Amino acid sequence: MEKMGIVFALMGAVLAALTSGIGSARGVGIAGQAAAGVTTDDPSKFSKVLILQLLPGTQGIYGLLIGFITMTQIGIMGGSADMSITKGLLFLGACLPVIFVEPVSAINQAKASIASISLVAKRPDQFGKAMIFPAMVETYAILALLISILAVFGVAGLNV
Amino acid sequence: MAVVPMKRIFVCALKKDRKSILEMLQRLETVQIENFDRDKKDDVFEIQDKSEIKNQFERNAQTAAEALSVLNNRIPEKKSLLSSLEGREALTVSEYEERVKTRDGIMDAAQEILKLDRECAENNAEIPKTETQIIALEPWLSYDLPLNFTGTRKTAAFTGTLQNEVKLETILEKLNEYAPDAVEREVRVISAAPEQTCIFLICANKDAEAIQDALRKMGFAKPPFTSDNPASASKKLKSKLEELHKKADSLNEEIKSYKDHRNDLKFAVDYFNMRAEKYDIISTLSQSNRTFLVEGYIPAKNAELIEKKLSDHYDAIVEFSDPAPEEDVPVLLKNNGFASPVEGAVESYSLPGRGEIDPSFIVACFYYILFGIMFSDAAYGIVLVIVTGVLLHKYKNMEPGIKKLLSMFCFCGIGTTFFGFLFGSFFGDAVKVISTTFFGHEVILKPLWIDPLTYPMTMLAFCFVIGILHIFVGLGAKMYMQIRDHQYLDAFYDVILWYMLLGGCILLLMTSSIFTDMMGISRPLPQTAAAVGKVMAIISAVGIVLFGGRSSKNWGKRLLKGLYALYGISGYLSDVLSYSRLLALGLATSVIAQVFNKMGSMLGGTWYGALIFILVFLVGHILNILINALGAYVHTNRLTYVEFFGKFYNGGGRKFMPFAVHTKYYKIKEDV
Repeated sequence: MEKMGIVFALMGAVLAALTSGIGSARGVGIAGQAAAGVTTDDPSKFSKVLILQLLPGTQGIYGLLIGFITMTQIGIMGGSADMSITKGLLFLGACLPVIFVEPVSAINQAKASIASISLVAKRPDQFGKAMIFPAMVETYAILALLISILAVFGVAGLNV
Repeated sequence: MAVVPMKRIFVCALKKDRKSILEMLQRLETVQIENFDRDKKDDVFEIQDKSEIKNQFERNAQTAAEALSVLNNRIPEKKSLLSSLEGREALTVSEYEERVKTRDGIMDAAQEILKLDRECAENNAEIPKTETQIIALEPWLSYDLPLNFTGTRKTAAFTGTLQNEVKLETILEKLNEYAPDAVEREVRVISAAPEQTCIFLICANKDAEAIQDALRKMGFAKPPFTSDNPASASKKLKSKLEELHKKADSLNEEIKSYKDHRNDLKFAVDYFNMRAEKYDIISTLSQSNRTFLVEGYIPAKNAELIEKKLSDHYDAIVEFSDPAPEEDVPVLLKNNGFASPVEGAVESYSLPGRGEIDPSFIVACFYYILFGIMFSDAAYGIVLVIVTGVLLHKYKNMEPGIKKLLSMFCFCGIGTTFFGFLFGSFFGDAVKVISTTFFGHEVILKPLWIDPLTYPMTMLAFCFVIGILHIFVGLGAKMYMQIRDHQYLDAFYDVILWYMLLGGCILLLMTSSIFTDMMGISRPLPQTAAAVGKVMAIISAVGIVLFGGRSSKNWGKRLLKGLYALYGISGYLSDVLSYSRLLALGLATSVIAQVFNKMGSMLGGTWYGALIFILVFLVGHILNILINALGAYVHTNRLTYVEFFGKFYNGGGRKFMPFAVHTKYYKIKEDV
């Protein structure tokens, strides 16, 4: 049982990458369908709708980021992997904001992206504004990421 | 560095000069034509509808465009990936006039190309039809009578097919069953395949009906053709097919022979579109029997040039006047090389409305910094500068919009390089990884300031400081506009009080123990600072409550509104917190770069390790650059549009759209 600390910590790290990856994969996928539809009509809008399609992809990267930082901090990528159960659970807790917020925000951002893609289809000159609506959703993904980063670094420095 | 001042222009000229005056204005691209008195009734001047002529020109442009696409389908134009950067080819006026003379010939060629294309399409439609006919004849090839042979004087013949593969014995059995009396008959199976059996049956005339009934019961069907004998029919069809193919080839060759007309066709597309646009404008002009009027807006600095051009060559009256203050004057931005690249970003939010300043310069100052912090890798910045620099240098003729975007990324690249060295990131930790893995001793590129991964809290505080600066500059811009408009009290209530409140709160925060503990600061600010902060915050908060709702006369309502205005502080809090994305995106760039470096170096310092490293390094970093440059671009825009513009900028201006040559392939330069 004493060895379980690292198990919890790694669970946090991989779940962060896992749920965010799932969310972004779904998000980029559904936005891609809308983007492909617009490109059928007007291939010259390709670059614009591609950018909008990619916006929900960042959540997956944030998950990867937390996963990677956590793994380096807990010694999976080299170093000692000994830690108490408390510390392991703390790492898992630190990853929770990313684990839960990223997939939800990715999918909702994708919905905003789809709406923006149809906006660009009708009014290509309004691309700047169209980009902002999905970017608004991402704010919460960034806030969750921020808390997770600070928490992971904080937990790594704790002596428990 | 500002919104270009505009003048109203009024031109009255003779109708005989209409064509050349309008064409000159169109080429100069500096007058936005607008009929201000459109709805005014007048006995002398009236608006003439020229949409008929315009439609004719549009049809011509359409024809030329179609012919061009036919030609391009046959012989694709050689285009590189970057050809969209090349811009339009420039023609001088005399070259243009020279080419205009050939327009009828060009249109004839266009019609000819379209005619050939139609012929080709008809011809090609025949090919599959003939092919099916040949296939349908194949089972009958060994049959040497015409397929419509019905018998001789005393006999009746039946030629046709039965479904599925049927044996001769089965056919005979069935005939015996269905027509037992008709014994004088002869059946041949010509060919048999799983899907059908081709048979020939001959019998005495008297039995014809009985046999026919029997055959119907067996599912007998007539053959597809009633021509002469199958072998020769097939031969004829084959030679027809060959001819069709030959004709298709010759038609294609003929169309291809027009390949030298490609540039002419492009010119025709442009020429007719230009004329259509001109007639569109003529339809809005007030005209009398002998004269016509042109009204509109012109940048003040071009007024003299236009006046000189018009009065030197034509009998024309040209007048300029300043637009009235309440007029919705179209907006044109003019900035120096540092600020003009972000004009595109400003424009895609909204152009400055009436009385607003052109924010491009202050936007530019922060734009490159914010992008730099988010992209934050020296090597990526250098890559960005080199790529955009090479493109800008190589394609000098590119369209202004693309040029602005590229130079914006070039400046962003410089910002990125700066912050990359500040945070010690060069392809992530590539220097360290390469030196330890392949050369055995560790070389570390030391950050000039801090490594955000080691000191995330310091970096976070730095991001907030940048954010507060950004917001304060936004408020300052608002104050500038209010002072310029002599609204000194508004400037005090709306900006100075907020400066005090926010400044006081920041002082209080910096002296609090939470902050000093979090940042690990050993020597906190003296307590007097806290006291000063407290006093500042309280005074300004009271001021905001008292004056925030000053537009209301009723004091009760005014205080409530003031309280609500004070609640706006939560907005400022969330605005500042929003700048934490600088840290998050900056970390994302460097951590992903490190992940790729680590993946690449996993095989160690051997030669195949080096090979894998190079491969992973290239693919990984290109991917990282693309994804994170996109992220940095989007979020720089967001911070500018929401947090920064929210403080002072509403926009709503109308874009200056001069009467111009909106062509696709050529641009025509007026010799000035």
